[in-house]
Amino acid sequence: MSEIPLPQTAKRIMPWWLLRHETMLAVILLVALIVLGSLNSRFLTIDNLLNQGRLTTEVGLIALPMTFIIITGGIDLSVGSIVGLCAILLGYSWKSFGFPLPLAICFSLLVGAAAGFLNGIVITRVKVPPLIMTIATLALYRGLAEGISQARSVRGYPEWFYFVGQENLFGVPAQLWLLLIALVVSAIVLDRTTFGRTLYAMGNNETAARFSGLPVDRAKLIIYTLSGLMAGLSACVLVSRVTTTRSDMGIGYELDVIAAVVLGGTSIFGGVGTIWGTLVGLAMIQLLKNGLALTGVKGDATIVVIGAVLILSTLVASSLQRRRDGVFWSV
Amino acid sequence: MTRDPRSETSGAPLLTVRAIEKFFPGVRALSGVSFDAARGEVHALLGENGAGKSTLIKIVSGVFPPDRGEVVVDGKPVDLARPDDARRAGIATIYQELLLFPELTVAENIFMGHAPRAGLGRLDWRAMRERTKALLASLEIHDLEAERIVGSLSIGNRQRVEILRALSQDARILIMDEPTAALTEYDVTRLFDIVRKLKARGVAVIYISHRLDEIFAIADRVTVLRDGAHVATKHVSETDATELVQLMVGRRIESLFPKITVPIGKPVLEVKDLERRPLTKTISLTVRAGEIVGLSGLVGSGRSELAQTIFGVTPADSGQIRIADQQVDIRSPAQARSLGVAYVPEDRGTQGLVRPMTVRENFSLAALGKIAFGGFIDRGAERKLASDGVRRFAVKASSLEQIAGKLSGGNQQKIVLGKWLANGPKLLILDEPTRGIDVGAKAEIHRLMGELAAQGLAILMISSELPEVLGMSDRVLVMREGRIVAEFSREEATQESIGAAMMGSHDNAEKAA
Repeated sequence: MSEIPLPQTAKRIMPWWLLRHETMLAVILLVALIVLGSLNSRFLTIDNLLNQGRLTTEVGLIALPMTFIIITGGIDLSVGSIVGLCAILLGYSWKSFGFPLPLAICFSLLVGAAAGFLNGIVITRVKVPPLIMTIATLALYRGLAEGISQARSVRGYPEWFYFVGQENLFGVPAQLWLLLIALVVSAIVLDRTTFGRTLYAMGNNETAARFSGLPVDRAKLIIYTLSGLMAGLSACVLVSRVTTTRSDMGIGYELDVIAAVVLGGTSIFGGVGTIWGTLVGLAMIQLLKNGLALTGVKGDATIVVIGAVLILSTLVASSLQRRRDGVFWSV
Repeated sequence: MTRDPRSETSGAPLLTVRAIEKFFPGVRALSGVSFDAARGEVHALLGENGAGKSTLIKIVSGVFPPDRGEVVVDGKPVDLARPDDARRAGIATIYQELLLFPELTVAENIFMGHAPRAGLGRLDWRAMRERTKALLASLEIHDLEAERIVGSLSIGNRQRVEILRALSQDARILIMDEPTAALTEYDVTRLFDIVRKLKARGVAVIYISHRLDEIFAIADRVTVLRDGAHVATKHVSETDATELVQLMVGRRIESLFPKITVPIGKPVLEVKDLERRPLTKTISLTVRAGEIVGLSGLVGSGRSELAQTIFGVTPADSGQIRIADQQVDIRSPAQARSLGVAYVPEDRGTQGLVRPMTVRENFSLAALGKIAFGGFIDRGAERKLASDGVRRFAVKASSLEQIAGKLSGGNQQKIVLGKWLANGPKLLILDEPTRGIDVGAKAEIHRLMGELAAQGLAILMISSELPEVLGMSDRVLVMREGRIVAEFSREEATQESIGAAMMGSHDNAEKAA
């Protein structure tokens, strides 16, 4: 088939980075910040912003591996349930098994990784679509969490454990350092390594990636395991922040996480996305929630606004995509 | 080769395309193209990829309107704003990717959208069956039943269903976009029979193909396009292949199959009793360094399956593979790659190229290990690898950051080939290496194959194009129903001997396909 050469006009009018989804989103974010800031004097204060960072860390930690997964064209809906399961097992192993707390933390991280590994192994070996597999484990892991906890909560952890969730390190909430490190590492891995390149290739064309001799199945196993591990870490941070363990922890996280990733420009069809986009997506959702709450908008209306922003950003993104590709693009 | 003597158009043309211009943002895709086709004429459109053939037929089929110029059917200008307008004007198009519903029957596919009705809006199934039978009979197709599920048919038969579908809508102008690209030689013969019958009925056929021999076999006139402009319209009886190629590419192509004789070295690939049901059955073969072995056979004879078994996509159930005298058990493409096996797959778009990624990223995809240190990609090395590849294979791309899927088929194929050669393989398996790419790129790929063999690479080439097999191979193997049924030396191999081995007999052809 013959193909029509591309129009170059769009590129000439604007530099490429201005057309990037992340840039557009950052601009929208900036405008929202200014508007919300002018409506409420408490919003644009360092204290408030850092506190919002504290609140978004648990979702943020999971959003990083989720970016990897969605870039490959997959999805992991079980992360919220893994948070619940890990939180319960952290408390349970400490209180009931009598594990020392550091060991209990390791144990819960291990359980998280194992839960993710189970997702990965079934997805790669049995070739169950990720959506189906992780819906199944969403139910399974939550059920386990509830079964183990028997509706009892665990509290009374030693004082040092609350450091990560509640204290500051160098003037910044302690867990934010965790998120920052994870963020930088993820961004470098995605952008600079053969592993990152493999993820993009898988998302764009899994068959061709396989036919090029890339370790497709191994990469999948790694990202789903990583997703479970980070959900486990998120659970520890969450328990440390709220000081108690309940089996309903992390319910609905998967939606917050996926919303942030997709809002950040990662294509749900795979192949496209960056960690920086996810960062902007996370900031956007958290700051909108907070800003609207401070301005006196009620909870329900906040959700409506966030939904509208998501739709708006998708529209902007797809119109940008069309401009980049040229309107008439024959296959 | 039957040539129709009546190549002069008699009376007013059925279809006239007049001074068509089409602009896409920033590009002039067509600049003043005109041609016409008479009743009962087969008019071939020829041109390299990107010459504007597809744009032109999309205008005639109403996919998008021209910016200037007009389409005249039967003396009346028609406004082709939508595909439906074209259908009403009696224009039907058979695209390369057949647009059928695989889960439905032959009859349902043919009458999709215009099924005969009984009272109260019910479908008249009996009339549908009867009319399907009549259509089949009118083209003397006897191996296709109205009740068969289309998904179970061979490509050749699916294409026949598309043709019948067009006829059921009383199409008088039939556009065929590379109809033989996916067909075996046998199906091509049958397609030509059908085209000749359509001719006899007064249907005008616009025939697009890269294969010159087909144009001489079937067309009355040929129009050559280059860079969106009309170059020439010729009677096929008054031109020859050399002239057409020259018109098409605007330069002379030295030789289509520049086979260089090189010394044949040690065996690189030795396969013994390889089994992978259902389509790889006790296969034994050897490919030596410097040797090009052609693998011939009908579509569905198990050639690609064999290649993919060797390459580890579908690992073997039993049997032995030796690569460079080492017994190996290949379980994955990654492993095959590390053993020095390269596979350029048949389906460039889904298996070969990651279309949305850039030229640079595609070039380095199979050789990431070579340009990465501790898992980190050395961007400088990657750019160098890609720009070396672009230069070596003369890939026409605006930059290394161009999206690979936007290049022409020939350039895409060069990238897939280049990506594997970047890895320094010992054995290169090529699956239909020149399918659907233009003459210029084809000649370049053949030249490269010759060079690579001269450098000591062992090449196993799967091809459905017999001239290519005959032109490039040192040895030819023929597969039928999952087995190697014949082997010919370069001297012994002829169209007839290979063809006969491929078919077994004509009765088996449909079953095999």
